[in-house]
Amino acid sequence: MTWWCSAQGIPWDWGWRAYPGVWLFVAAIAAAYLTLGRGRTARPGTAARFWIGLALLWVALDWPLGALGAGYLASAHMVQFVLIALAAPPLMLTGVPDAGYAAIERRPRAARAIGLLTRPLVAILIFNVVIVATHWPAVVDALMGTQAGSFVLDLAWLFAGVVFWWPVVAPVPERRLPYVAKVGYVLLATVSMTLPYIFLTFAELPFYATYELAPPVGGLTTREDQRVAGLIMRVGGGAILWIAAGILFFRWYRSENEGMPAG
Amino acid sequence: MTAEWARKVGTTRVAARKAATGKAAAGKTAARAALLMGSLAAGLACADADSRSEREDAGRLRGFVLEEPFAAPDFTLPDTEGSDFEFRAETAGFLTFLFFGYANCPDICPVHLANLAAVLDDLPYEARRRVKVVFVTTDPARDQPEVVRRWLDRFDRTFVGLGGDLDVINEIQATYRLPPAGGHDPEGGDYLVGHAAQMLAVSPDGAVRVAYPAGTRQADLAHDLRLLLEATTVP
Repeated sequence: MTWWCSAQGIPWDWGWRAYPGVWLFVAAIAAAYLTLGRGRTARPGTAARFWIGLALLWVALDWPLGALGAGYLASAHMVQFVLIALAAPPLMLTGVPDAGYAAIERRPRAARAIGLLTRPLVAILIFNVVIVATHWPAVVDALMGTQAGSFVLDLAWLFAGVVFWWPVVAPVPERRLPYVAKVGYVLLATVSMTLPYIFLTFAELPFYATYELAPPVGGLTTREDQRVAGLIMRVGGGAILWIAAGILFFRWYRSENEGMPAG
Repeated sequence: MTAEWARKVGTTRVAARKAATGKAAAGKTAARAALLMGSLAAGLACADADSRSEREDAGRLRGFVLEEPFAAPDFTLPDTEGSDFEFRAETAGFLTFLFFGYANCPDICPVHLANLAAVLDDLPYEARRRVKVVFVTTDPARDQPEVVRRWLDRFDRTFVGLGGDLDVINEIQATYRLPPAGGHDPEGGDYLVGHAAQMLAVSPDGAVRVAYPAGTRQADLAHDLRLLLEATTVP
């Protein structure tokens, strides 16, 4: 039995496969959330956002999407990226009650580490480096061939996503950016995603041996699959970032009109 | 030589590359992040090394070059239109890729042919017309002419498909120093056929010079096509 999705080189079939490592990982996050929120009242909808975010993470990691993305289709791999790094983290972070963040802040070492990693400049740097590195062909091909490597890559995306979204959504007053700065910060991430998008969409040859040499799935050629992957990054990932920027802009506008404090 | 081919067959660069990891002190968040970034950086270093190696190999074939090229043995088999295809006569003066496989193959055959078709599609017309691809089925019981034709057309309509008696095909494979195909189920049904996974490149002068094992990438085929065609005269 395999515990995490990875490239195995076996022909694809639609028979269900179990990945217990994914279940344990998702269960561990759920348990941490329940522990963090124990006895604390969450605002209406807060918990729902967390569980929706966690569900998206689960969908991205487990069969079939996880398996297709790990070893068969670059386009599925990119859907995973969008879900793990861009969609799930903001939902999960906004789903943590304020008291949960306060509990983290009360732990000096954790607060210090998070404080360092989630400084906007550090966070955007980490996010950009992880995006470029985890789409580099040699890195993808080296990591996707083993379960541990595939796990590291998924973890890197989740880590980068959490670090990136933290300054935008975490309700920690002293680390809040003004709304205008948040809009600029979020849109900055669209720039870093442009590089892999250009390479994937306009490259003449396939980038990743993993997907080029994988047993075929569906009717797409390797090159078409790679172009679709680039478009998913651009359109899907870009849409999430632009929607987030739009929401932040609207909130900034409202706060300006209502005299609300920024952030 | 066969043993070395067999060693290469079935290997992919996916399996050949290993991720590097650094040491990190457990329990420290920053150290975990450093470990993560370290393994990614190691991957980037590998990429740089690959790039250097590619520059050094610019003038060398990336396929498996035979130490002793041999004259392509002649054979005649029926093509998908029912006409006899005389291999040497039909391919004289062309750079020819010869591949033994089967249409129900779930992995090696479709990947090989799709990759070859993709790089051939990139060639200018004048270069493309100097290349032929000949596919010989190793599963004639299921690979009826119309099945082979329909399957090959998914890749390229100019690919030639040949069939015939399995014993004859296995004898032809032996003359090309390839192992016989096996694993057929006389009762029919859904079975896998064991077959040689390498694609042979036959130069215009009729010599088998290079083999491309399973796992050969489009970049390698494109690189070698350029070199092989430079040595080819227009028929």
